[in-house]
Amino acid sequence: MDYDVLVVGGGIAGMESGLTLGDMGYKVLLVEKEVSIGGKMILLSKVFPTLDCSSCISTPKMAATAHHPNLTVLTYSEVEGIVRKDDGTFAVRLLKKPTFVDPAACTGCGDCELACTVAISDKFNSDLVATRAAHIAFPQAVPKKAVIERAGSSPCNFTCPAGVKAHGYVSLVRSGKYEEAFRLHMEDAPLPGSLSRACYAPCEGQCTRDEVEGKVPIRGIKRFMVDSYYERHPEPEYGPPEARNGKTVAVVGSGPAGLSAAYFLARRGYGVTVFEGGPEAGGMLRHGIPPFRLPKELVDRDIRNITALGVEIRTGTPVGSIASLNDQGFDAAFLALGTMEGQGMEVSGRELSGVLESMEMLATGNAGGRMDLSGKRVAVIGGGNVAIDSARMALRMGAGTVAIYYRRSRAEMPAHDFEVQAALEEGVELHELRTPKRFFGENGKLVAVEWLSMKLGEPDASGRRRPVPEKGSGVTCPADIAVLAVGLKPNTRPFANELGLNRDGTIQADPETLATSLPNVFAGGDDVTGPSMIIEAIAQGKRAAFYIDRYLQGLPLSGITFDARLTSVDGKEVLDRGDVPPSARAPVVPRELPAAGRSRSMEEVEKTMTEEEARYSASRCLDCGICSECHQCVAICPAGAIHFDMREERKTLEVGSIIVATGFQLFDPKRKPEYGFGEYPNVITAMQMDRILSPTRPYNAVVRPSDGMAPSNIAFVLCTGSRDCTVDNRLCSRVCCMYSIKQAQLLMGALPLADITIYYIDIRAFGKGYEEFFEQAKGMGVRFVKGKVAKIGETLSGNLRIRYEDIHGDGGPVTAEHDLAVLSVGLSSNPEAFGLFPPGLLSADPFRYVREVDEDLEPGKTSIDGVFVAGTASAIRDIPDTILHSGAAATQVASFLQRKRAAL
Amino acid sequence: MANERRRDPSEVMRDEMVMKGKIASLLREEPRTIPEISEALRCPAREVTLWVMALRRYGVLEVLPKAKADDYYRYKLANA
Repeated sequence: MDYDVLVVGGGIAGMESGLTLGDMGYKVLLVEKEVSIGGKMILLSKVFPTLDCSSCISTPKMAATAHHPNLTVLTYSEVEGIVRKDDGTFAVRLLKKPTFVDPAACTGCGDCELACTVAISDKFNSDLVATRAAHIAFPQAVPKKAVIERAGSSPCNFTCPAGVKAHGYVSLVRSGKYEEAFRLHMEDAPLPGSLSRACYAPCEGQCTRDEVEGKVPIRGIKRFMVDSYYERHPEPEYGPPEARNGKTVAVVGSGPAGLSAAYFLARRGYGVTVFEGGPEAGGMLRHGIPPFRLPKELVDRDIRNITALGVEIRTGTPVGSIASLNDQGFDAAFLALGTMEGQGMEVSGRELSGVLESMEMLATGNAGGRMDLSGKRVAVIGGGNVAIDSARMALRMGAGTVAIYYRRSRAEMPAHDFEVQAALEEGVELHELRTPKRFFGENGKLVAVEWLSMKLGEPDASGRRRPVPEKGSGVTCPADIAVLAVGLKPNTRPFANELGLNRDGTIQADPETLATSLPNVFAGGDDVTGPSMIIEAIAQGKRAAFYIDRYLQGLPLSGITFDARLTSVDGKEVLDRGDVPPSARAPVVPRELPAAGRSRSMEEVEKTMTEEEARYSASRCLDCGICSECHQCVAICPAGAIHFDMREERKTLEVGSIIVATGFQLFDPKRKPEYGFGEYPNVITAMQMDRILSPTRPYNAVVRPSDGMAPSNIAFVLCTGSRDCTVDNRLCSRVCCMYSIKQAQLLMGALPLADITIYYIDIRAFGKGYEEFFEQAKGMGVRFVKGKVAKIGETLSGNLRIRYEDIHGDGGPVTAEHDLAVLSVGLSSNPEAFGLFPPGLLSADPFRYVREVDEDLEPGKTSIDGVFVAGTASAIRDIPDTILHSGAAATQVASFLQRKRAAL
Repeated sequence: MANERRRDPSEVMRDEMVMKGKIASLLREEPRTIPEISEALRCPAREVTLWVMALRRYGVLEVLPKAKADDYYRYKLANA
């Protein structure tokens, strides 16, 4: 047996019964679903009728509970199920939710909360004020440890192949922390400048905001962030890492995959040499993407992020074999050759001058060279992004006309539609359902192309409809230049005798570890996957670095998780979080050079957002995952206590008996819409008023939520949701009259000039000193009006019109104006208790509280032998009665356990 | 106020991170009440209340003493 007793719930009943049993020598496990024990009592200002400080009473109990030698407290944990076994003991399934903070290390300093960039509603302050995704529940929390609220991965974070925390840097930009945003990006991907221009932003494709009025322009925000950072930091802020491990890695290829691998390996202390066959580093970033989309100075600056770590890039140094790298003494190699060669086309006349591969033209233009296309008729063949780039580049090289010929229709084009649109706006023509049959030449030069018309047949393996030639459809059109942009492939020929290759020339590599057929050689990026997005290549480089590091440390490559992101949050769940759907906010319209003028210029087409636009755009983020993973808490925590890799833990324990101390629920006043709660800001609940009156209050003083005014005329509406058949709760909640009177007295102290009115049905002052407390309030000037409130309305000034039935006065309906209304909400049963056990096993009374089988003679005993109930889980009680009842339940448990021991 | 479109409080709270700088700029000029900040920013006072209270909580703003006859507190930038 793991514990003698399990107590479910860490409120005043759970603590009291647990302490009593612990004092008797029983081993007690107390499980609390919140991050702190203390229940609702710790959140109250004072208790009635003594007006003693609630915290002063609660905190010693909380501390005693946490430190009692016989009590084990599990906070932020849930009991998922309890099964009574044949021997009378209980098997308890427990879930420990991750706080993402090591409780042993956390000192409760609160620095993480100050640094956090995500504001969320503070439920411990009854939603009156914001707290942070990283927070300590409340000042007196036990344990006083931070928790990071995470609903999962934000879809943008989850979608990014490289694990770039888009939500993180968006929230940092929203907070004006641009440098921190840049540094966060560098944790996951080292080429932010290039990505800010040329990434196709899969993150945006998953943005929940798109369901409202349009996606958050994540790439545009990144662009602002990068430009802002690079302007302030023309050179990297860092140098090579101090700790070097003495091992060396060769990276073959200086495209995004190679640069990414080099960056992450160098950060781990490896000596990295990048071999680049061409004259300049950058791969597709340098040679493939035109400068009007990606300025080459930006590529240069990005590359300095890698070289600053001590990475050596040897340009003009092609690698002829793996053996040559081994001969040079490298401990491992990463092949990231990219796909820089055209697939070619088997078309008659391919050899003619004027028939070019797309990369031939793009590389020339990107290197600052210029093909003389003045006045020439250019036909670009293909439908991908390279075809679009080629067509736009041809325009800028002076072509007279440029037309794209694609064998399917526009809908099937692999190119992104906005790229196609940009090309069309610049004057590129698009001919759909056309494929070249032959190239005609004169004197070895292209003069015309014969085109076949196509029609779409059945879908092929890619899911797109297969193009089929239409018989007799040939048509010949004059052309001076034909650009083949029908796919790219890697040049892996130098390694064909050393490595396993696929039929298409790509390298065979383990998709998880990127290990090749040679033990110390890894490969990734386009030379393994085929042409992909920049961010996918960067992801491959990052992955390779992870596994190369393990390989070189002699660690196994299997049985380890490289990418352990939380599952993605469901967008619908995000949109349903608030009472009101997110309000529409018009997206910033991207600014671009006018299409008419730009088509002959290499100037960058897209413009960077202003700071105001970037922060506004970032403010449209819905914080899907709640925590944005901006890692400001990690950076600031002096104890290193933040661990984002923490996960749920489940275990099953055996206990001898159970105390159900799951407490009560407060009535949700939105169920009485006639009172306007949630609609009128100055209608609040009594729990909210208790928070406002508390020493740890959310506001600086008693002020009303609508405008911060100190109220001067406050109304209490008693029996809100209790003694009310219309909401299926006809029970009196027993405490509302007294807590309202308590609050009225406290308000008279805080606001001596204020008028306080309590609207009641009848005052229930049954306990010791209650009647005196009531009389004392009257004596202080609190006005008691007997009359049920029917409706609350709002004036233009935010005041409230309360309509009630005047029973003791002149009678009839009366309307009174107040500047703040407090709904004295009733208490009701908490159905969670019944979910602990198999359905139907734990009996309920007619009011859905846990039924005590013999309330008079055996308080606390439930319908299950060995299961007891303490406090308000069985009926509404005030605090003294809860303490008494908890003691009774503890005694019943002790008696039960002793009987069992005696029987053994 | 009765005609203002109500935004969900959680949405308003999110905006604190953006509004923080604007409110700080205003209060750098002089201490102001919530209605005064609201008017200057052209934002509903109920929303400004949420931002001001959170900024006070996290030490960005401080409250000035209020005479009993005054309806509103004035807030100033901390350490300003």
